[in-house]
Amino acid sequence: MHNLEKSIAEWRKTSSTASHVGEEALDELESHLRETVDELVRSGLTEAEAFERAVKQLGGTPAIASEFQKLEQTAWWPVKVVIGLGAAAALTFAILSIVAFIFDTRPSRFLLATHVFTVGLGYTTTFLIGALGICFVGQRCFSDLSPARLRSVTRVTFILGCMAAALTAVGVILAMIWAKTEWGRYWAWDIKETGAFCVVTWQLCFLIAHRFTRTAARRILVMSILGNIVVGLGWFGANLFSSGLHNYQTWSYSLLLLVTVIFNFAFFLIGLAPAGWLPLRKAS
Amino acid sequence: MKLEKELVAASSVPLVLSILSEGDSYGYAIIQRVKELSGGKIEWTDGMLYPVLHWLEDQRLVRSRWSKSESGRKRKYYSLQSDGRTALRQQKEQWALVTSTLNQLWRAKHA
Repeated sequence: MHNLEKSIAEWRKTSSTASHVGEEALDELESHLRETVDELVRSGLTEAEAFERAVKQLGGTPAIASEFQKLEQTAWWPVKVVIGLGAAAALTFAILSIVAFIFDTRPSRFLLATHVFTVGLGYTTTFLIGALGICFVGQRCFSDLSPARLRSVTRVTFILGCMAAALTAVGVILAMIWAKTEWGRYWAWDIKETGAFCVVTWQLCFLIAHRFTRTAARRILVMSILGNIVVGLGWFGANLFSSGLHNYQTWSYSLLLLVTVIFNFAFFLIGLAPAGWLPLRKAS
Repeated sequence: MKLEKELVAASSVPLVLSILSEGDSYGYAIIQRVKELSGGKIEWTDGMLYPVLHWLEDQRLVRSRWSKSESGRKRKYYSLQSDGRTALRQQKEQWALVTSTLNQLWRAKHA
């Protein structure tokens, strides 16, 4: 006997491989497919025949995907800026790491330099995702992004989120190996390690919200601002409590960190307001 | 008689906007309405309607919302926005101009 649910699940699985057709568009196409099947069954066809004809009537996914692709707009300017800043940060961290290694070529220094490069870039990428969130909230005060642009920005934050999580995780593992060779232990929950743990946890939560929950795109972008606070406290906040090389227990440093946290939290709260709450005055 | 592909594509926006001016609707119902009005002569590949609907939404001419039907099925309903009404007015003027121009030409030929 024909199993409609199984056929639809298979159709959906095949269709989801087509790029430019998002989950929501697939939901809509599936809903259409079901309506057509119902109608055809009512007209006397068997469920299997109705499904086959409904799929044919709906059209091939590649053709639909190519129509959806035409909707994709040029990248939003903050996305271009963020990608540029990301590339600049990667270059800076690479130069700093290479220079540090040139002056000291011990294997443990290489490990440390690579750790600084990967963790620094992972943290910076998380900041850049948060920066996109701030730009999104800023834009949303006046008017919402178009659905196509919103989808495209959300996709960029997911790609950057994957990069950030991978880089930070690799960096943390390298630091653990370095700590074992230098200090005789992998992990001791010191303030820097706890900070790194919080950042990695945040990055994973961000990716889970992206992929495995059906959180709306705008919520994800607003949520990304909180990443700035987590990384700010995990990276720079940890320096307030550590001694030695990373000791920054000064008033100005603490104040700067506090202002950064308040600034980001304020943007997060603004992001909860409805779109267009700050209407632009039109020129007469 | 089957309409040319290009004409089907060009008429899709005014058709969808006109149907939505009658009230909120969803993809499947829009296609059924077009079939009904054209006596089945305007045939769309069903899936091709959705990029058009999404484009209209991107242009802020229509707005969408998911809602449950009486049968419990989730449907995405589209509603015409004020910019959509303006666009529909412009489309009507443009199509009326094309129709009247062609009518004059063809009437002159048959006279």
